[in-house]
Amino acid sequence: MSLIGGLVTRLRVSGGLAFSQLRHHKLRLSLAIIGVALAVLATTLLAGAGIGVIDIGEQQFDSADRDLWVTGGETQITTRGGGGFENSLYDSRSVSEEMETHEEVRHAIPLAFETVYVAADETGDFETFIGSGVRGGGPAVSVTEGEQFGGDPHYANGTYEGEMSHEILIDEETARALDIDIGDTVHVGGSLSMARDNEFTVVGISPTFEQMLGTPTVTMPLSELHQVTSTTENEPATFITITLEDGASQEAVQSDLQDSFPEYDIRSDDEQLEAVLQEQVLVLAAGGALVVLAAVSGGALTLNLLALVVYQQRREFAALKAQGISSVILVATVVGQGLMIGILGGLLGLALTPLGVTFLNELAAFVVGFEGLVQTSPQIYFWGITIAVCIGTIAAAVAGWRVGRTPPLEHL
Amino acid sequence: MTVQPSPASSTGESTDTTPMIVGRNLQKEYKRGSEPGRIGRLLGRSDPPAVRALDEVSISVANGEIVGLAGPSGSGKSTLLHILAGLELPTEGTVTFQETALNSLSRRERTRHRLEHVGVIFQHFHLLKSLSARANVALPLVELGVSKSERRQRATALLERVGLEDRITHRPGELSGGEQQRVAIARALVTDPKLVVADEPTGELDSETGKRVLNEFRRVAEDRAVILASHDRPTLRIADRVVRLQDGTISDQETEFESTSIHTQGE
Repeated sequence: MSLIGGLVTRLRVSGGLAFSQLRHHKLRLSLAIIGVALAVLATTLLAGAGIGVIDIGEQQFDSADRDLWVTGGETQITTRGGGGFENSLYDSRSVSEEMETHEEVRHAIPLAFETVYVAADETGDFETFIGSGVRGGGPAVSVTEGEQFGGDPHYANGTYEGEMSHEILIDEETARALDIDIGDTVHVGGSLSMARDNEFTVVGISPTFEQMLGTPTVTMPLSELHQVTSTTENEPATFITITLEDGASQEAVQSDLQDSFPEYDIRSDDEQLEAVLQEQVLVLAAGGALVVLAAVSGGALTLNLLALVVYQQRREFAALKAQGISSVILVATVVGQGLMIGILGGLLGLALTPLGVTFLNELAAFVVGFEGLVQTSPQIYFWGITIAVCIGTIAAAVAGWRVGRTPPLEHL
Repeated sequence: MTVQPSPASSTGESTDTTPMIVGRNLQKEYKRGSEPGRIGRLLGRSDPPAVRALDEVSISVANGEIVGLAGPSGSGKSTLLHILAGLELPTEGTVTFQETALNSLSRRERTRHRLEHVGVIFQHFHLLKSLSARANVALPLVELGVSKSERRQRATALLERVGLEDRITHRPGELSGGEQQRVAIARALVTDPKLVVADEPTGELDSETGKRVLNEFRRVAEDRAVILASHDRPTLRIADRVVRLQDGTISDQETEFESTSIHTQGE
């Protein structure tokens, strides 16, 4: 028999031996497969969530229909109240008006997020929500039920003496939390006393900012948000969003505005999304760490089980080595078991991924209103099975290495 | 003490007196504990004490001869058995199998040597539980490149020879201790080795089953050398001569170890 033929025979016998060993120890096999499948599932779901977040972010920026985003520094998450962005862009009204003087800028609109206290009645328990302030209604805010609030009359050319509309939009999660609907009233303010004094009427349901921020929100005219948060003096905003004239060059305007307003960051949709994601580095790192931990723990579990396989069969393997059987067959048997565990665990993990995606998407839609938060792609499935096979192979290689190195008499 | 092959077996059958395997001046030392590492040496740890398991032992075994190794636990009989089988090397001395000096072989060559020339049988059988009796027996033939059909044929023939024709497809868990030991004997013989070594081959068996297994050894010894290590007198009765070890040296040799004719019921 040729050298290659002999090797093929040995490998074929090792494969059969590995298969029979696995079949003989069904509980051990099941545990190992579940371990690898969980590692794969964690990987595919976390990667799917990452892709979904980026995709939804891009959709949100696209649906906002803005060409440029202006910030006064890092768009950080604030630690105050229920969360939201830091408002580091001051005098937003005058800055946006200055920007609108550029001949290719059609609109420059400030957008603010502030933490506010909200309750269904003034004597009730106040809860913190994100209050979103927009200048008037318009396409930036979509309404699924009811109607938009009308304009921003309270601003009155910077005097803040116009009549407040006392109209507000809420999202479905806020409606559920406060048990209110269109036509009901809520009290809103930056402080408890301010909230007790300011009553707003719910005129519509809008998912726009809940989906953008991933948390329940109330949306009102910008001047009224500044009024109830006592910030009319410096008119802070989170962003100024810019819409260009038809045919205008985005890059040229961005460059012009950046030169004219060097103290601000002026970004395109993609750049702004990237900046937001970069500032969530801890979240991203945590997600990455979870993927690594899932893969490592899957590997450790498989290695542990294979080490157990080797340990339980140490005398049988030693006897075969004493009989003159080379390490090739024994190592290939262990490696074969690892590979089979990896492939079976990987396939199970991939089979469970669509179920996990559906569950997480329904959960996300219920909790934060995002549809399709977790998304998969062929690449994710590819990497899932790759990780599973790697886990099996590495674990088997370590266990097989020990089999090859152990002298037969050590266990006889 | 040097122990030579007996001129004839105690069964009265003629024996080829040409030595199959010869061990000369065998010494074996083991370290009691691990060697100190660099840090251990820096901390003043010295080498562990050496224990001499064999001391100046010489032995030869001829084709067709059954040699028993007797002695109390720790006397060195298993060590001598392992050295003669090529499972380990002596610290001093030489082992020559036919004309091959085992000391000169690499580990891989010794593994190949065992595959081709030595059958090893253990007290605890050590069969793979997931494989049938036939697959266990046939496994060493894979290493020799024997075709699948011939592997099955040879394994089946050997299992029939040891009286397990109706247990061929059974797994070890479905076999009694005696049946498992006979499978292990068949596995040791499947490569047609010239030397068979067995360490306490009846240690796990009741006396009746032990007799049946020992009869297999008598048949095995027809055209090969057999070395049995045991402290069980009935087991040693089948030996043509018994070499007794004490504290790593040969203390005695008996060539008249009572009658060796052992029959199971019904035979």
